[in-house]
Parts: sequence; structure tokens; C-alpha cells
Amino acid sequence: MKLIRVNMHKKTVTAESVPEDYKELGGRGLTSTLINREVPPKCDPLGPENKLIFAPGFLSGTPLPNTSRISVGSKSPLTGTIKESNAGGTASRALARLGITAIVVEGQSKQGDLNLLRIDEKGNASLVSAQEYRGMRTYRCTEKIRKTYGEKNSVLCIGPAGEYMLTAASIQSSDVDGHPCRAAARGGLGAVMGSKGLKALIVDQRGKSADTIADPEAFREAVKKVVKIVKDDHMNSEVMPKLGTAGLVAPVNTMGAFPCYNAKKGELDGWEKISGEVMADLIRKRGGKTTHTGCSQCIIHCSNVFVDKGGKYITSSLEYETIWAMGGMTAIADLDTIARLDNLCDDIGVDTMSTGVAIAVAMDAGYRAFGDGKAAIKLVEEIGSCTEIGTILGNGPAATGRYFNNTHVPVIKGQSIAGYDPRAMLGHGVTFSTSPMGADHTAGNVVGEYLEQKLDPLKVEGQVETSRYLQIAMAAFDTMGQCFMANVALLSPEGEEAFRNVISAKTGIRLGPDDFPHDMGIRVLKAEREFNRKAGFTKKDDRLPKFFYEEPLPPHNKVFVISDEEIDSTFDF
Amino acid sequence: MKLKVKLYGTLSCRFSDYQHLQGMEVEIPDGATVQDLLTLLELSESQNAVAIMEGRVLKKPDKIKHGITVNIFQAISGG
Repeated sequence: MKLIRVNMHKKTVTAESVPEDYKELGGRGLTSTLINREVPPKCDPLGPENKLIFAPGFLSGTPLPNTSRISVGSKSPLTGTIKESNAGGTASRALARLGITAIVVEGQSKQGDLNLLRIDEKGNASLVSAQEYRGMRTYRCTEKIRKTYGEKNSVLCIGPAGEYMLTAASIQSSDVDGHPCRAAARGGLGAVMGSKGLKALIVDQRGKSADTIADPEAFREAVKKVVKIVKDDHMNSEVMPKLGTAGLVAPVNTMGAFPCYNAKKGELDGWEKISGEVMADLIRKRGGKTTHTGCSQCIIHCSNVFVDKGGKYITSSLEYETIWAMGGMTAIADLDTIARLDNLCDDIGVDTMSTGVAIAVAMDAGYRAFGDGKAAIKLVEEIGSCTEIGTILGNGPAATGRYFNNTHVPVIKGQSIAGYDPRAMLGHGVTFSTSPMGADHTAGNVVGEYLEQKLDPLKVEGQVETSRYLQIAMAAFDTMGQCFMANVALLSPEGEEAFRNVISAKTGIRLGPDDFPHDMGIRVLKAEREFNRKAGFTKKDDRLPKFFYEEPLPPHNKVFVISDEEIDSTFDF
Repeated sequence: MKLKVKLYGTLSCRFSDYQHLQGMEVEIPDGATVQDLLTLLELSESQNAVAIMEGRVLKKPDKIKHGITVNIFQAISGG
């Protein structure tokens, strides 16, 4: 396995063997360790000292299903913290099967220079001029790349927002159908890619140099057990293939925890119209797909293909966090508008969550009315054109709040919350406050614990411990390239043991019960927190915005009540 | 007592005339529990059904209040 370094200033590409102490890492563990070691913590995230790292998970490219997450790591221009954002699609498997553990993009192209980084079927990397792709939106860019280099290529690319270096810019990842609709969207990593002068990473999918498996027979047996656990899981076998993550719209609203009207209410008027159940009905009637495979080697199929009234593709897939940000925060209870906004964000290359929340902050300031779908579409188009208001919104909710002098901005460390209000789901407040990534939807998502009645969302007891356990587990599974849905099924002593057996069979080194996910997760979190400390972050940054402690959220009319001391004990290691 | 039940996720599939936005009316004895309701609706343990009433997740022995809408979901996780 090799590590490729690309110097954008010198336009050189070098390959090296993976250093010994990185050998058991992949994905988030590898990107975060590398960033912590090699990037000056106080550097300008959009300057030449920052690095952008693409890393398949440790198990990506192996026969274990649901290991197609690619981690992208850097210092974030949105949060100023270390950042790992992972995306599904096909690139992770493709890179791993070419024997590539990571691509480290360093330096910065000369101003005006724009490049493609191509990895061919032998795993050789080269930089190619991308002048003809300048300003191109991601769907067109991906289509042109696949037409030029062949359809057996995965594409990770930025749109105009990344080229403009807007701090909510995403990196879009092509799915199984070749649509750039998966995203490493959080933290503005698209802006880092733009600052490097890199328009796209193209990876040939025909690689045959995958990492060796120490004990193939034990690996096959271990994979069988993991697959059985994932398939036996009710959520993965029944709900995800039919509704996807959109199935959360109903329970989160009913629990009064759906942040809407810029996090001023916990239940959206008319939420039924944008529920997963209504979405699935609509997709079925129009001839779209409620069950769809978006990522390589997926056995869950949580994706969907949303089509318009005429049956024409709009987006894939319409998911909970986007429905929440674009429909809940903005009070636009219309699936067609939300789907259009999702498509536009993917095409322009901005995070749907940060963008939806930024629009909500602007609406809350009176710039446009809540519920005005046409205005929201026009505002996202303005991001694509980099107008004054487009630039503000494309830099995320905190920038938007500053511009409109609105302090009601639901961000932690500069990044917007996800679709769970901390006042009605206290554990999410713990995760949002303490995650090294800023507020995050996957770092330690607690909603399932509430629905399984393991925890009362409104009682302090158990919230810190649950967030801690989930954050540690996610950091470990993110290192493996495993998708969130499969992870959830494996969060039990039996599931964790089955997964450890897969890792052990690959490496030939027997893992003990503490080694994974616990010790691995802590190792990753420690590296991330160390970087943040060196960058100047303190406990005082692990706090929610003031209004969460002061303004009761209807319908429960509660505020966030977990003390600073308890929050600070989350990572007491 | 009569109460309104709304089913989410894939739970409504077995009720052919179920109208999603309207829900359905169910009659259960006064003092019935969440478990009684799930049994009446033939929702088994494996379907991970969870009832929410007035914004609160209920436990199986909890009694159902008169005249309230009960929302029944399947436990899922986010992300």
C-alpha cells in the first residue's frame, strides 16, 4: 500500500510506502493523525501550509460490505478546527483497490491555475490542466470527466463554491450511477480543494492491487457474521430501504426536537408533508426509486432517487438532514422545493446543512419570509454566481448572522447544528458542544437511543456517557470506512466482536475487546483534540450558543440544562 | 375508549385502507397500556414499534390517555 503526495505548487507527484505507525489506520484515523502531525495548527486553512487528505477506510476495498466511505481531512476554513468529512459513493473502494492508502495534497497552485488529479488503472497519479472545467458545476463536470476518461472512473470534485473558496463549500462524490450527489460537505473542505487549485480527483475503478488479507478464510467467516448482524437489524432491513434517513422527520417532529424557523420551534407546521412516508409515496407514484444503491458494496440501500412530476431525475438521495435544513429551518414544507434545493447545492458544491441554516438565519433577520421556497432557490443560485448575498450565505450561518446582525445562529465552533434541537434532545447538545469537528450529525448521534427508550431525551442522566460512547465508537468506525447505518447495527458486544474479527483477519493481529472500537476511537479523538488545542481552542469553545440556555423551545418549552462541568467531563481522558 | 392512531415507517403496510395523513381510529378498553395497543395492532417485538404521545416516548406499561393521538414509529437512528 502506498501514500501519494501531490505538491500543487511544484506540480510534483511522489509515492511512498505507508509509514509503520500509520499501517493500522485508514479513513478518519489516518487523516486526523496526518493533519495533527503535519499541518501547523495555526495556519491559514486556505493557505499553502494546510493539507487536504483523501483516505479510504482501513477496510475499504475488502469484500466487507458497506465500507465505501472516503474520508477527507484538513484544517477547516469554516471552524478553524481539524476536520474529517466522509462521503459515500465509489471512490473509496476504487482507491483502496489501487493500493492507495491516502492522497496528501500539499502546497498551492499558482493563482489562476486549476488542475485535475488523475489516478489511472495502475495507480499512477498525474496532474492535468483543468482550465476547461473552470466554473463548471459538479454534474456537468462529472459527466465531462467520465466522458473524457471513461465511465469506469470515480470523481470527487468541487463546484463554483469551492473555486470561490466559500467556507461552506463541499466536495461532491460520484455515486454508483455516476451522479455527484454524495458529499463530503461539512467544514468547507471544498474551499480547501479550491485553494489548492484542484478541481477534481479522478480514480480509475479497475484496480487490482488491494491490500493483502492475512487470513482469507477467517476473513470470509468474520464477514459473514458482520453481514448477518447488519441484515438482521430491523432498521437496516426494513426501514432504511423503504424510507431512508427521511424516516426520521416524523419521530423527531413528534418528539418536539425538529429545529425549525431558525431553531425557534421544535415542531414544524405541516411537517407531515415533508415526512419520509409522504416522500416515499410521492417517489413511488412518479416512478422514482425508494430503494437505491448509492455506494459501492452496499447491502442496506438507504438511498432513493427523487424525480419530478414528469419522472425526471432531480436528486439522489433526499435525506433527513437536508430535508431538515432546507425544509425545517426555512419552514419550506414542500418536497419538490427541497429536492430542487438539494440538487442545486450538490451542483454548485455547497453543504445543504450549512446552506439551509444560513438561509434560515437570513429569513429570521427579515431578509426573506420563512416558507418562501422560490426565494430560497434564488438565494442558492446566488451562491453559484458568487454575488454579495451569495458569498455571505456560502460562507455559512455564522457569516450570515454577522452580516445581518442576527445573533440567533445555531452553530458550535462555526458549524451549524444538525436536525436535533439540543433543548429537546439533550445528548445532541453534548455531541454538538464537544465534537472536535464542531456541531456534527454523525459524530455521536443520539436519536436512536431515545427511540429505543434507552435514554430519556429531556433528562440529564446518561446523556454525557451516551454521547461519549457514541463519539468514541464513530471515530473508530469512521477509521474503517464503514457507513453509519451498518455501524449502528454493530454497536453491541456481539457486533463489536464480529467487527474486530474482520480487522484481526485482515491484519493477522488478534484484537482484544478494548482495542476496538474503544482504544482506536480514543486514539483518533485525542489526535483531533490535540490539534484543536494547539490551534487555540479551549473548553470555552465547547459551548452551545447562549440562546439554547435561555430561550425555551416549544412544544416542551425547555432550555439546555447540562452544566459546563458535565460537558467538560465528556472527554475526561 | 376510542383513540386516533397514526402509523409511521413501514408499519401501515398491513392496513390496506390506511390513509397516511388521517391515521386510523382504534377502540381499546379504558386504562389500556401501550403494550395492549401494540398487541391489538398485532405489532410484534421484532418490528421495534415505539409509541409517542404528547411529545414523549412511552414505555410499554404506560397507560394511554383518553382522547389522545398515539403516534407509533419504528426505532431508527440518524445520520
